[in-house]
Amino acid sequence: MSFKISGKFLFVCLLILFFLSSPAYPEGKRDYFSKGDSKRLTLLQASMCEGIENLLPRNRAIVFSIINGKVFCYMSFDPVPEKVSIYHNWFYRDKLSTSIKLSLKPPRWATYSSIKLRESDKGPWRVEITDKKGIILHILRFSITD
Amino acid sequence: MSNLLSFFSSIRWQDVVDIIINSYILFRIYAIFRRTNVFRVLFGVAFLWFFQRIAVSMGLIVSSWVLQGITAVAAFIIIVVFRNEIRAFLQAKSVRTLLWGVPRKAVGTPIEVIADSAFDLAESHVGGLMVIPGTDDLEDATQRGISWGGLFSIEMIKSIFWHDNPVHDGAAIIEGDRVVEVGVILPLSHRTDLPSDYGTRHRAAAGLAEKTDALVIVASEEKGAVIVAKGTHLSIMNGKEELVQILREHLGIPARDGDFPRRELEFGIAALVSILIIGAVWFSFTRGLDTLITLEVPVEYINRDSGKEIVDTPVNAVRLYLSGTSLLLKSIRPEQVAVRIDLENAVIGRNSFTITNENVSLPPRIFLKNVKPPVVEVAIDSSTTRDLNVQVDWVGKLSEDIFFTSVQLNPEKIQVMGGSRILENISTIYTEKVYVDTIKETGKITVKPELNPPSLLIAPGSKDRITIEYVVEKRTR
Repeated sequence: MSFKISGKFLFVCLLILFFLSSPAYPEGKRDYFSKGDSKRLTLLQASMCEGIENLLPRNRAIVFSIINGKVFCYMSFDPVPEKVSIYHNWFYRDKLSTSIKLSLKPPRWATYSSIKLRESDKGPWRVEITDKKGIILHILRFSITD
Repeated sequence: MSNLLSFFSSIRWQDVVDIIINSYILFRIYAIFRRTNVFRVLFGVAFLWFFQRIAVSMGLIVSSWVLQGITAVAAFIIIVVFRNEIRAFLQAKSVRTLLWGVPRKAVGTPIEVIADSAFDLAESHVGGLMVIPGTDDLEDATQRGISWGGLFSIEMIKSIFWHDNPVHDGAAIIEGDRVVEVGVILPLSHRTDLPSDYGTRHRAAAGLAEKTDALVIVASEEKGAVIVAKGTHLSIMNGKEELVQILREHLGIPARDGDFPRRELEFGIAALVSILIIGAVWFSFTRGLDTLITLEVPVEYINRDSGKEIVDTPVNAVRLYLSGTSLLLKSIRPEQVAVRIDLENAVIGRNSFTITNENVSLPPRIFLKNVKPPVVEVAIDSSTTRDLNVQVDWVGKLSEDIFFTSVQLNPEKIQVMGGSRILENISTIYTEKVYVDTIKETGKITVKPELNPPSLLIAPGSKDRITIEYVVEKRTR
């Protein structure tokens, strides 16, 4: 029963995060990425990090302490030919914990998702970055420890 | 009638062999030890055991405990008491003697001559003591006299016990056809129930007979009678024939032709009684009051196709309700009971197996009454191999001064064998736990993969060790 409550709690948290997840690069700066519209969507960078500062990942790592309270999955695409949706599928061990939808906009875009950490989240995780068809673009592996 | 038929039809050939072997052993014990002290000791031990069982059944705690203790040391008592018989038995020169021979002591002993000599002495009113040893050693019971070693004859006996002979007061010991010792001093009996006219010679004869299994012949000087002492009995011989018969029985010499039917009859009765006793014991072991016990037995799966995997068995052990006699049930050893399910015809998916007598292996005369649960479900999957990504399972307290920036694994993937349904849902194999507590700087370690579920196996040829190269950076504040 406690597991179900925790699951719902996590789901609500992640739902909030989904709506709060914001592009690292605001739309107002779209002209900055103006070139390469005709090219294919390309993942430039993906990493797990402790936070986002100045629209860039802070302390990229593969092991995170639960004390941090949150963990972030950062990614940047260049070019982004058209508006597209990308998914961050968070797996705890081999079990899907949550799937977060993120939007990318031309000409290039950086964004992130994050989860709140609880005591029961300690262990190995992975984030699969997929397109809307489920094709895996990249996998990031990390662990949550004490 | 039908019960009787079903009883006989349930007897196995092994039971018949069992009864025959043990009946023969019992019969041989009788044949070897009959008319000896050993037989009385055996009876004593048997009674001891019998009363111990009664004491147990009546709930006499102390009595049963004491009797059990005595019975436990009975094995040592038997070895000490039977030492001569055991030695004689083991020294048997042929298998035939071992399996069929009847002990024949002092073969060649001239019993007719001994009997003639005894009556000759008595009629001449010459006192004499002749000892024919049994299996007991006489050394402890007598004071040794003078070695003689002469062939036995009436004349020699007469001369030994002649009044003027210096050794005439002692006893003559006869072994085989020789007088081996003369002037032997025998222990005197302290019995008070002996006739008042019995003198020292009679008391000496009674004394040795009480202490050993020897037979002592007394030629009475005053009465002119022949008296035989054996065990606690003193018997006056009414004639030479009676003495000859007693000597034959004592020495185990086959009776004359006319006595054969009697001996055959005795052995025949002994054989029949042996069969009846062992049959009764067998019956009480195997057909006594039914007792019910329950045993928790693990289920063994046999004949599994190498291309199939057992992926789920909700029932690992079943409870067997067994019946039989309490003695047999108590003696069951765990390795004698097994529940086996044959997976030869099992199909991919869920299989139900009903446990019957054919699945349960039990010791003889133990019967299966019930099984819980009666049906066992087994999920079978086809076996396959798959390349799985490896991920480090970091654990422990991460130092606040550092952070792990990257990790490189070699190999990054390993090939794993297992049930296809299991492997369908697995994409990652994790390493054994790697503790971060002690890691302060960049380094390398080698670990094993932790296969979960345990039914998974690393495929032949795939690496079973993973090298982790990690990069650690100091945290800047």
